[in-house]
Amino acid sequence: MKTDRKTIRVSSLSRVEGEGGFFIELRDDGTGDVKVSIHEAPRFFEAFLLGRSHADVPDFTARICGICPVAYQMSSVHAFEKIFGVPVERCIRDLRRLLYCAEWIESHALHIYLLNGPDFYRLESAWASKDYLPLLTKGLGFKKLGNDLLTALGGRSVHPVSVRVGGLTKAPTKKVLTPFLPRLERAYEESLAQILWAASLPFEDHAWETLWVSLVHDEEYPMNEGLMALSSGRTVPMDGFLEAVSEYQVAHSTALHAGLRESQRPEPYLVGPISRLNLNHERLPREILETLQSASVRLPIRNTRMAIVARSVELAYALYEASRIIKDYEAPQRPYTPYEPVRGEAVWVTEAPRGSLLHRYRVDEAGRVENCTIVPPTSQNLAHMEKDLRLFVGRHADRSLDWIRREAEKIIRGYDPCISCAVHVIRPA
Amino acid sequence: MRKARLGVFKFTSCDGCQLSLLNLEEELLAVVDLFDVAYFREATDKPLRGTFDLALVEGSVSTERQKEEILNIRDRARYLIAMGACATSGGLQALRNWASLSAYKARVYPSPENVHALSTSTPVSDHVYVDYELWGCPVTRNALSEVLVSFILEKKPALRGYSVCMECKRHGIPCLLVSQGAPCLGPVTRAGCEALCPALGKPCYGCFGPKDDANVESLLSRFRLMGLRSEECRALLDKMNTYAYRKVQGENRS
Repeated sequence: MKTDRKTIRVSSLSRVEGEGGFFIELRDDGTGDVKVSIHEAPRFFEAFLLGRSHADVPDFTARICGICPVAYQMSSVHAFEKIFGVPVERCIRDLRRLLYCAEWIESHALHIYLLNGPDFYRLESAWASKDYLPLLTKGLGFKKLGNDLLTALGGRSVHPVSVRVGGLTKAPTKKVLTPFLPRLERAYEESLAQILWAASLPFEDHAWETLWVSLVHDEEYPMNEGLMALSSGRTVPMDGFLEAVSEYQVAHSTALHAGLRESQRPEPYLVGPISRLNLNHERLPREILETLQSASVRLPIRNTRMAIVARSVELAYALYEASRIIKDYEAPQRPYTPYEPVRGEAVWVTEAPRGSLLHRYRVDEAGRVENCTIVPPTSQNLAHMEKDLRLFVGRHADRSLDWIRREAEKIIRGYDPCISCAVHVIRPA
Repeated sequence: MRKARLGVFKFTSCDGCQLSLLNLEEELLAVVDLFDVAYFREATDKPLRGTFDLALVEGSVSTERQKEEILNIRDRARYLIAMGACATSGGLQALRNWASLSAYKARVYPSPENVHALSTSTPVSDHVYVDYELWGCPVTRNALSEVLVSFILEKKPALRGYSVCMECKRHGIPCLLVSQGAPCLGPVTRAGCEALCPALGKPCYGCFGPKDDANVESLLSRFRLMGLRSEECRALLDKMNTYAYRKVQGENRS
């Protein structure tokens, strides 16, 4: 009967990238039905990439997301380098990692301080209260540093232009990068203190067993290379990951949902900072781990509300790692390795700020795209977000609708969903 | 004095131009001080209410619903500015204007019948009157501040309509087209990026769209003389500003 049900419908989520909303139906038995919906208009990237030269692809896929263009460029160039067998020099590899650090800094700072932070102070925006100004200023400072570094490496911070298959169009001189060192070191010190701040925020106690997925790497915190690891302990090579996942379309969303084939039904899993931190914390510098310890944060993080803590840890790490790379940097002889395209197919995964971003391409003998698949982090997290919300609704069905709506918005925002990205998914062939 | 009400709206896009607004960083604090940021979904919870003195619109019109929405926003706005390649030229997604929508849908989605989209992606100016167009993929921070400051000072923004070539000359960058025979779109592309790509050793790929009075046809015939096939020339135009370049090319031919 209709009167036994209460519904909450939010048609346009704020402080997230892109257009999405959610719908919650509370039944009188205390259970609820939850749908996160994507209203973002489809853009059909996987269709218009067909027939294009592989050389266009990094600049095209960057346009899927203005917040994490480097991630799209990285997953695509690595996939093509694998197909063509292009060796990439060590210092170019480092420069690309530096570029990724800059994007993590910019994107994480945006989310921590401008999008998610205001939730913990009951503010409608980062500039809604004078009391929040010190945090906003701090956030803008981190963000500017990330953007300045992106600009030094790629010409501009949104859709940088220097990434190409084989390397970079131009490598910066040591002289361009060295002046960043004092700024990075100051920011790193500050970011350690900010981990304590993030850990002190009020979180609903909500520890649960869920599936984490992230790249893992023997020597470093993962960005551009590694194996895909699942929290069950299993690792799979990048090109085996699509077989471990099934994607399905649901009627309320233009994005495909993804689940792990761990059991009979696809099991929702989590990608992003929490999963990365849980599966890779041993690769972090001791100082960051000690800060976490003094903040009484225990690893692994099982409370998905605490994403802002994991993000703050990664912000600190990206600042630390950027300094390290710049200190060791020597400009390469040539910025890229020349290559000849050959026919072939490859999958590559890199760690976008929001989680694992998978690209698969098949190209013809001239290096033109014959087929492509793009699996962004947010579409992988959609099913997990819904599960998280369902558990939440189950626990709090007696609370007021207004309270549930507000909290649900915060839960979704904690995932840093990038809805502009989320629609760009294609079924595995 | 009453603060001017600023609205930031998103249509079909990557969010990069809205982000450029947030990337004003130090100046962002001045923006929120000078303007009443009355609607900006990416940054505040404020619901859509009332009218706007200035509406910044990101994104192209590519669904039935958006055709209605853009009329609604125009109706509420004293000045409407189209911001970025999607809003001024339909964006990269306007590549579907030259293809079959049903084929595109079937290729990307397992259940294409659930996907609602127009067969075209078009600039805001194809739907409503636009007071000013801010080109670029993405727009630059400088151009954004120029527009916002101009609004406060009640003057016309001083943005350039000449080509990227002028910026290369000003920065002393050797011409990639002449010295390396690289297919550079600089001669037909609007300035604004400070010759970003040529400065990094890469030919211009047309982020800022056609400059005033661009002669696209003439540049393409030069490319053909250099040995490029017609479809390669076409592919050079068919990027973020495909709709605008093809339009100009059509005019050049007639």
